[in-house]
This record gives sequence, structure tokens and C-alpha cells, in this order.
Amino acid sequence: MTETDTSSPARRLDWQLAQVRAVVAETDRVKSIVLQPGNWAGHQPGQHVDIRLMAEDGYQAQRSYSIASPPEDELLMITVERVKDGEVSPYLLDELRVGDWLELRGPIARHFVWTDGLRGPLCLIAGGTGITPLMSMLRHRDRTSSRTPTVLIYSARSLADIVYREELDGMARSSNNLDVVYALTREQPKDWVGHRGRIDRTLLAANCFPPAQSPAIYVCGPTAFVESVSGLLVELGFDPFSIKTERFGPSGG
Amino acid sequence: MPNNVSDLLLGGDAGARLVQQIFVPDVTLAKIRCEACDSETGIGALTVYAGPMGAVLKCADCDNVLMRVVHTPHGLWLEMSGARNVRFMSN
Amino acid sequence: MDEAHISRGFRSKRQMQVANDRVPPGQYVTTDFPILSAGPTPQIDVSDWKLALQLGGSLLGVWSWEAFEALPQTTIRTDIHCVTKWSKLDTTWQGVTFDDLLNAVGLAEPPQPYVMAHCDGGYTTNIPLADLIGGKGMVATRYDGIPIAPAHGGPARLLVPHLYFWKSAKWVRRLRFMPEDERGFWESLGYHNYGDPWREQRYDGD
Repeated sequence: MTETDTSSPARRLDWQLAQVRAVVAETDRVKSIVLQPGNWAGHQPGQHVDIRLMAEDGYQAQRSYSIASPPEDELLMITVERVKDGEVSPYLLDELRVGDWLELRGPIARHFVWTDGLRGPLCLIAGGTGITPLMSMLRHRDRTSSRTPTVLIYSARSLADIVYREELDGMARSSNNLDVVYALTREQPKDWVGHRGRIDRTLLAANCFPPAQSPAIYVCGPTAFVESVSGLLVELGFDPFSIKTERFGPSGG
Repeated sequence: MPNNVSDLLLGGDAGARLVQQIFVPDVTLAKIRCEACDSETGIGALTVYAGPMGAVLKCADCDNVLMRVVHTPHGLWLEMSGARNVRFMSN
Repeated sequence: MDEAHISRGFRSKRQMQVANDRVPPGQYVTTDFPILSAGPTPQIDVSDWKLALQLGGSLLGVWSWEAFEALPQTTIRTDIHCVTKWSKLDTTWQGVTFDDLLNAVGLAEPPQPYVMAHCDGGYTTNIPLADLIGGKGMVATRYDGIPIAPAHGGPARLLVPHLYFWKSAKWVRRLRFMPEDERGFWESLGYHNYGDPWREQRYDGD
């Protein structure tokens, strides 16, 4: 992994304004927001931004969102899921309009990063909106015409809950080296031949590159999902050092 | 007994998982001997401390730290200088 | 940009106000006070309690509870940030500043550049002197006006709020000066040696 520039860390922590350029409905609970930042130094796939909202009375709320767009794009995309009784997601999903401004800072986090050029096959495992930072990686992979052998295992409640589905299917079709595997946990189409239920040992063993190939592994999703999948991977013999995790923790809202 | 390694592993607790991650055999079948007071305890019976920061196992008799495990983005750390040995029982 | 931008149409759900730029990167604000301990909670009787300041082989000062309570008391209001990502704003603490401890043993200046805090239960953490003096560090005995509960580090804990909260060692008993830095309990097993939340120095290697 490349060292980030430590000569200007202050810039990364400064708040800046970004203008909303588009709002895209991905599923019935998820939207993507496309932003034009005022002063963006670039990012690496996997990193996130902090978003800050302030009401007229001065009340502030702040949340972190993974960047879904690849570094090759000038516009930033974040993907937001509706959180029941949430404070921030209803605003972003229901109120925010094209032309509005959002305060953000970043990119943040240097450990959950993949760029083409890192050795080894790539194994990406997503639970729900954990797909977001992995999508940045996959889009980057696509834009750099990378041949890195890659598998994405994506767990969601139903086919309708798979975010970016057409784009993922399109990438899988057009690349010899990319496999996309869906695990549908609650509801499956009648003719579904894919995996039913949560990600288990069998699915991981059948689809991940074997430990002998030293794949780089990225797991992202709710905390319980990440813990469970990491545990299974270690049981299957993967080196814990090779497993990078990002937990969507309790601050979601 | 609340919060011991065996119960916590069954419940999917992250701290207990950290301890199991280090070892290939089932850690709830292992015994650990304290360097300080020489007592031997089943790892499954030990309380796991330090929750989200890592896993800390302490000797139930003398409170000496037997083992510590921390998982950070930069690696998985293990320190066991407080244990004389760990013995995995044959099935 | 000095002031936060007002987000059109955003309404607060709670009454609590959060001021500008008080939440370091990667943190979220909580109104709880989560408890995290590397061992069981020691039940310490203040009649047995002592705090020592150690230099080399000798103790520069030892205070019983009464003597410690008789030292100059300072109250501060500050924010605290845990490496596990929660931040708690506007917490109030009372205790004896490190500056006042140095005064009490007749030292105009710290004799060595580092301190190791030693605590009941064996926990340790290392802090540069520069991060303890000038009001930056204290040994606290009261939280929100009442004695600190055992689970939160009472009767006395170190408080160094500008660093991640694992440095604010609970159940502190001895502050040992060191000529060179040595890593404490978490610092020797994967956590950052210094721990500045504003530079997100959570782990060794960050």
C-alpha cells in the first residue's frame, strides 16, 4: 500500500463544501448522492468521508460514508441507506436536492484501501451497503482495465436490495477475471440457482481464492456480519493479516 | 458463569473470537499455565476483558495477565509472556 | 471557512447542541459513558489508597487520600475521545493537575521527559511530560461533581483528554518518570504510541 502524503494532513481534516449534482435511487431504501467537492485532493478506493449537517439552531450531526466512486472520477459518489428513526439518512434521502450544498471532509482511513498494482488476487465480501467502498475498488479496477483476478461475494436480503446490480452484472460479463456471487438471505426469486441464506463456510470455500494464492481480502458491512465472515475465513485457513475489515458501526443514522 | 471464553465464543463475541483466531485447535479445550503462580486453568473458563480494544485473559487466581490479543488494521498481535505454556488436550 | 454551513431544510431531532469542530475524524458523539476495562474492577478503599511520584529508585512524593484531597483542586470541562470511536462532549472533572503535583514535591520542572502511569490491576500507559504539564493532565477524583465510580476508574484516574482515552489510565497509583520512552499496556500491543485523536493515531503504524 502506498504511503499517503503526510506533509499536508491538515488539508484532509478541513471541512469543505460540496455541491449536490445528482441524486440516484438505487433501491427502495438506498440512494446515491453525487457531489462536486470544492477542493478535493483525490482519494483511494475504500476510503470514506465525514458529512456534517447543521440546522438553523446550530444543532449538528455528523456521519461517515464510504466513497463509492473511483479515484478516476472527478465527482464523488456516496451511497446512503435509510436507517429507521435515523437522524441524517432521512435528510439525505428525502430532503436533499440537486444544487444543495453538503459539508464534508476527507478522505479518511488508510487501512481499508485497494489499488490496482497491489499483488495477488482480490476477494471482496459485502454485507448490505458494505458494498459501497468495495464498489469504489471495483470501479477503479474497471477503469484501469485491470486483469487482477477478483471475486465479489455480496450478501443482501433480496435481489431487489442488491445495489448497483446492473453495473455489477455488466462488469462481470465484460471481464474474464471478475466473478460476482450473490447471497440472498431472506427472499429469493423462484428460479434462483444462486446461494440462499447467509454467507457460510461452503460458499466462501467455493468462491474465494484458496489461501495458498494469498488473496487480498476486504470485508465490509454491519459489525456482526464482518465478525462472522472474518471468523469463517480464518477457520478456512486464511491469514488474518490478509483480511481487511470495515465495520459499519453504531453511528449509522 | 458469565462472560467466559466458552460462552462468549458461542455467542459470537469479538474478544473471544480474537483469542480463538490465533489458534488452530479449539481454544476451549486448552489449558493455560500462569507464569506467576503456576496454576493451570481451562481457557474456556477464563473471563475475557477489554472488549472492543482487544482480548485480555487474566489468571483467575493471581490476576496476572496471561495472554493479550489485539487486531488492528496493521496486523494481529499476540502477547503471552504471562503464560508458561498452553496445553491443547487430545480429543 | 470558519463557521459550519447551514444545511437547507435540516432539522435537529434532539435538543443537545454540538459545537463546531469538536469531533475528531472517525468519531461519533455519544451521551452514554461506555466502560472498557482491561481487567476486573478493583474495589479500592480510600483508606488504603496512595499515589506516588517516582524518580529512579526513590519516591519524590507519596500522598494518602487525605493529603491528596488537601492539594490544590482544579475543575475542568472537556471533551473525551475513545479509540473505539465514541466521543463524549462537555465532561466535567475535578482533581489535581500534574503541575500542582510537581509543585507539591518542590519541582519547578519535570526531571525527565516521560512518565509511565502504573495502576491497580497492572495496567500501564506512557505519556510525554509535555502532554501532562501546562494544565494538560491531571489526576481526577470527581466526575460531574461526584466521586468517580470504581468502574470508571475511581477513586482516582489519570485524565489526559487531548489524547485517546486509553491514556487516561483508571485506578492510577504511581507516576514514574522515565528518561526514555517505554511503551505501556496497549502501546506495546498494536496501539499508537502517542494517540492524537485529531491525527487519528489509533494504531501502531498509523
